[in-house]
This record gives sequence, C-alpha cells and structure tokens, in this order.
Amino acid sequence: MKTEMTAQEAGGRISSPASWLKTWKKIGPAYLFLLPKLLLFGLFTVLPVGWTFLLSFQEYEIFDSHWIGLRNYAEAFRNEIFTGALWNTFRYTIVTVPLSILTALIIASLVFPLGHRSQTFFRASFYLPVVTSTVIVAMVWRWIFNYRFGLLNHVVGIFGMQPVDWLGQTDLALWSLMLMNVLIPPGSGILLYLAAMGSVNPSLFEAARIDGASAFQIWRKITVPLLKPTTFYLLILSMIGAFQVFTEIVMMTGGGPGNATETVVHVIYKTGFRDFEYGMASAQSVILFIIIMFIAVFQYKMLGDEGVERHKKRRNK
Amino acid sequence: MKMWKWSKLSTALLGVALFVSACGGGDNNDPAAGKSSSTNEPGATEKAWTGEIVVWDGPRWSDDKENKYHWIENKKAEFEKLHPGVTIKIVQTPWAEMEDKLNVSIAGGAWPDLVYNVSNRMASIKNIESGIVEPIDEFYTADELADFYPNALKEYEYEGKHYGVPVSTRVHSLLLNLEIFKQKGVEPPVDGKWTYDEFLEKMKQLTGGGVHGFSTYIMPSYYEAWPFLMMDGGRPLSDDLTQYTFDSPEAISGLQKFLDLKFVHEVALPDMGMSNVGDTYQAFAAQDKRLMAVQPWNSWAIASSQKEPYAMDLMVAEYPTGDSGKSISMGDVLGWVMLKQKDEGKKQMAMEFVKFLTTTEEIFITAKNYGVFPSRISSGEQRPFEANPQMERAQQIAENAMMVPRHTNWQKIDEAIQKELQLAVNGTKTAEQALKDARSQVESLLK
Repeated sequence: MKTEMTAQEAGGRISSPASWLKTWKKIGPAYLFLLPKLLLFGLFTVLPVGWTFLLSFQEYEIFDSHWIGLRNYAEAFRNEIFTGALWNTFRYTIVTVPLSILTALIIASLVFPLGHRSQTFFRASFYLPVVTSTVIVAMVWRWIFNYRFGLLNHVVGIFGMQPVDWLGQTDLALWSLMLMNVLIPPGSGILLYLAAMGSVNPSLFEAARIDGASAFQIWRKITVPLLKPTTFYLLILSMIGAFQVFTEIVMMTGGGPGNATETVVHVIYKTGFRDFEYGMASAQSVILFIIIMFIAVFQYKMLGDEGVERHKKRRNK
Repeated sequence: MKMWKWSKLSTALLGVALFVSACGGGDNNDPAAGKSSSTNEPGATEKAWTGEIVVWDGPRWSDDKENKYHWIENKKAEFEKLHPGVTIKIVQTPWAEMEDKLNVSIAGGAWPDLVYNVSNRMASIKNIESGIVEPIDEFYTADELADFYPNALKEYEYEGKHYGVPVSTRVHSLLLNLEIFKQKGVEPPVDGKWTYDEFLEKMKQLTGGGVHGFSTYIMPSYYEAWPFLMMDGGRPLSDDLTQYTFDSPEAISGLQKFLDLKFVHEVALPDMGMSNVGDTYQAFAAQDKRLMAVQPWNSWAIASSQKEPYAMDLMVAEYPTGDSGKSISMGDVLGWVMLKQKDEGKKQMAMEFVKFLTTTEEIFITAKNYGVFPSRISSGEQRPFEANPQMERAQQIAENAMMVPRHTNWQKIDEAIQKELQLAVNGTKTAEQALKDARSQVESLLK
C-alpha cells in the first residue's frame, strides 16, 4: 500500500531532474527487482504475441515473406475446417465449462464440512488429475472408451446393450470428449472453492441456522452467492482453457472421425507446424485471441462487475 | 503522465528485448556460426574444411547396451578419425518428433545440416521449392546414381535434380497369422497371391469364435487401406497431379469392396477404420488378444511380429487383386537430406559424410538389422534377408510399390481424403458420397 501511494505521489511530481532523481531513489529498486521478470515477460510473451500479430498480415515464406493485408483473415473465415473447428470448440466450451464449475462447487461443498484430515485427503485426491500429465490422462481415457476392451463398453455390456464406438462415431465423438472433460475432477476449482469457503464468516451460517434455514437453503442462499467472485474467476479461466483444448484431441481422435472433433488450436497447430503456413496460423491465433477476449469482457460485464462490486460493498459494510 | 511513463518503460523494454534477441546465437546454416571455420576461400581450396556438422537422426536397432544410436555413433567416430578437425554432432531425435522439430527449426532459421528423411516429408516439393533442401547431383556421377533402384531415386527427384540420397524403402503388405489359419483349417494363399474373391472367402472362413478375418485403421498419413481402394484401378490423382480422380467408378468400387468386408460380410472387426495404430497392432499381435488373422502393415511390423513378445507363425502376402488384375501396394523411401548450406566447403564435407553412411555395405547393414529394404541395387543383390523368406517376399513387393503422390499440398490433400474415408468406414457416408465429397476440398488444393 505504501509503495503504491509513493508511486502515485511521484506520478504527479516529475517536473525537475532533482525530483525525478528523488522519485527514482524511492521506486527505482522496485523496478530493478522487477526487471528480470519484465525482461523475460517481454522476450517470451510480449514479443512473440506482437510478432504473431504482424505475421498474421503476411504470407510467410522461409526466405521471403510479404505483406498481404487482411487476406489471411478472410481465408480463415472461408475455410470450412476452421469455421467448423470454431463451432466445435464453442460447443465444447459451452457444455464443459458450466458442468466442470458446477462439479467443483458440489464436490467442494461436500468436502468442506469434513474434518481436517479427511479434507486434506480429498483435496489431494481431487487434485491428482491436475498434476498428472494430460497425455497420461488421455491415454487412460482412450482405454476407457476402447471399443473392444474399454471400461465403458464393459458397463454397457452388463446392461445387455451393444458396444458403442465412443470415439469413432461422428455424432458421438465430441460428446465423448466432453464427457471425459466433465468426469475428470476439476481439482483447481475444488481447491479454490474450498479456500473461498474457508474465508466466509461462520457467523453467517450460524445466523441462518438459528433462523431455521435448511442445509440446502444455507448452501443456495449464502454459500453460493458469496462464492460468486471465485465462480467468476473460474469461469474465465475454464473458458480460456476450454477454447484452447488441444492435447486431448491429438491423443484421442486427431480431430476425427472426419472433422467431428476438430478444434481451433488443433487446426492452428496443423496450419503452422505441418503446412508451414505461419501467416495463416497467426491469423487464426489472433481470431481465437479476439474471441476469447470478447467473451471474457462480456462475462466480466455480465457477472464480474456486479458480483465483485456487491461483494466489496458487503465487505465494506 | 502515468501512461507516458509506462509507454516509456515499455519502449525501453522492447528495445532491450530486441537488442538481446539480436545478440542471440547464430544458426547452424550460418557459415560463421559456432566454431566452424571455413577454409573454402580462394587460394585455400587445397585445405579441407573443418568445423561441426549437425546431424539429426532417429533411433534404429539396439546394440547389447540397448543403445539405438550405436550405428551412427560408430560411423561418426570413424568419419572424424578420417577427417581431423571435423566434428559430427548427432542430435538424437525420436521419429515421432522429427517432423515437428524440423518444421520449428526451419521456421526459426536454425536447421540442422543433415537429416534422415522419413516419408519424404523433408524432401517435399514444398521444401524444395522454398530452397531449403540442397540438390545432391554435383556429388554423384551418373554411374553412382544408377546403383539406386529407380523408384527409390525418383522419390527424391524434382525438375531433373535429386534432393536426397535414398537409403531404404518401406512397403505395406498383408501379414497373416498362420496359427489362426491352422486353427480354422484355412489354407493360406499360394505364394502370397490372391484375388479379392479368394481373399473374401478365406476371411469368411477365418471369422468366428471371437476372431475376425481382417481389420485396419484409417488416419491421415497412413496408407494401409489404400491398396484396397486402388485394386480396381482407382487412383487418387491423375498422373500429372493436376486432377482429383479418386471418385472414379474404379475407386468407388474398390472402397465399396473394402467397406463390404465390415458392413456386408462382417469379416472385419466392427471398429475397423476407427481404432488407432497401437490398439490395432495389439489386437493383431499381442499374445493374449489376437482378434484377427490378417492385417496390412508397414514392413517394420514384419520383424516385430517375428520376435518376442509378439512372435507368431507369420506369413507375408500381397494385397488381393481386383478388377485391374494387379496387386497394389504403397510404400515410401527413407534417406539422407542435406538442408540449405551457405558454405561450399561445409556442403562438400556434409555430403562426404552422407556418402560415408550410404555405401553398399552400410545400406546392406541397415537393411538387415533394421528390417527395411535397401535402396541400392548392389546392397539388394547381397540378399540381406536371405534367411528370412517373409522379408524377401516383402522386398519383392517393395520393388513395385506405388509411392505417395508428390504434390506440394499432399499432406492437406491426404487429410481431406482420409477424413472422408473415416466417414465412410464409420457408416456416416456411402463410398460414393465420401469420395465425391473429397473432390471440392482436393480440387482447391490442386490449383
């Protein structure tokens, strides 16, 4: 807080070399400490992003690239595979994000009342898939979905039904991937919800209980609304993650059958690293970036502002 | 004011970043990079070039220490001894990662000097036209080139020049588990040759009791199923590679016969075409779950199916013949490719190393130990598979195999066709619909 105020004060007083030097003495060390990180950030994030933006207006050749204006963007939207991938990615996001967040909320709500030891056990258990490589998780799920030896078809067989080609049927493949995403415990979400639940004032629950509220009413009327900032944060993060789904596609279906499970990042990867069309891949990346940014801002306007402000007001009271 | 400060800071950071990146290390194709020192200037031609040559190679056969790079490491040591001052840097690169790593390195302008080319991805027309791949003709006499099988050499030819040195050929053939044939009392095809009708009849006899006659998969860049599509005379593209021809009546008929194995005659596994490579091989070869008698495979699987843990009584057979009366197979040619060089001396030395790796003897050794078919006639004449009749039969198939069409956009064309084939084999589209639907996508790529 003190540093912040000093910086603000300094902002209005840079008028003479003496005062500039004085300010620099105060805030300089902070910037110096930040410098290594800023340099790395500049080199490995800002520069590539800026370069991607520039590339998106070029036809990339290894020895001779040239400027083509918006042609890459126009071609990207004319490409049926890319627009189909956008639609698949959108469907994937719409289905998996709310369900994952809901799952995290329900699991966290069930774990929260448990004792310290049990809570620690469940925290670790549910977080395990997060620290496990996505490749390994995808391989396990490939076995679960396997037509001949898979767990799912074994279960289906118990009920006397015919085995299902979960990843091989055009209408079913994307839904199977969504099912996989939803059934993998959202470890990060559970941990965040548990941390947020721990910071809620217990007197609120106590007051509600005295007023005769049932456990479900307490959860719905007190817990869930107070977790709104966490939900909003998770919504943004999960949405970005879902829009960037890639490893699961590569490992499970390769975008097939046909283009049934083709997603935007998989198309970008192929355009860039298989076809060498870096200009087009950059344009596709910028389109994805703009879509994600637009949806994030939209979510912030619809949920974030209102939720965060209300939460702040309550805290200030 | 605050904004001004931030913009000043950002500009300074960007400047620093640009400076740092400008100071970054040079690439391998830069003659002045690293410790290389060219002596190829005028007046110094007598003195041999010295410096480092970067070679990317993948794992081959193991030695007794399970080292799958021992062959190239030994050749490196021998070459360095013969050429003092020359260092060969071997970059061990798993085959599965080779293409992506190379593409990234090319995009970054830091490619290796030599690379082992698989499925002709590196010596593609696109790369040749981009100027990344060096022609090799100035280093070979016509007599030397005449020692390579014409179909192997042709895979590296473009507009009268050769852009790589072929080492070996791989081919697809049908692998038969004779143990299942014996159990079911079915006679294998005589000399590994059969018509589609004979093939179908045997598949029917083999199917039953939890076992199916046949299965395979369909994925981009995999051509195990394609000989069925071509057996009646269908071809993906016209000879001059300007027209899509895979929706001809012959191609539709070939695909229909392939689909009938699954949907009409039910002699193929219900998930044929949709399973992945690993699962399909396991279903054919794993001791505890051998679910089918016949599968098409690339030639690497022959050696694999002859030894533990997959050892079986194996026979190699040709793809069945269709209305065209010819058995079709598809193959690819592997070999060494030299990437763009700025230094003449280095270029000569790198090519010297390629020649050192591709003598008759070395290609024979590679063929015998690695289970691939030699690209040199003189190596083939030494009969690397004399003790392995199944490999010999596959080698005969390889000599007449069709190669993947060499079109600049082939990978995209291949993907467009394969994805339609997936939709046919999972029952979403008919044979005719699938092959006709691929036309619009492929035609736009042929322009």
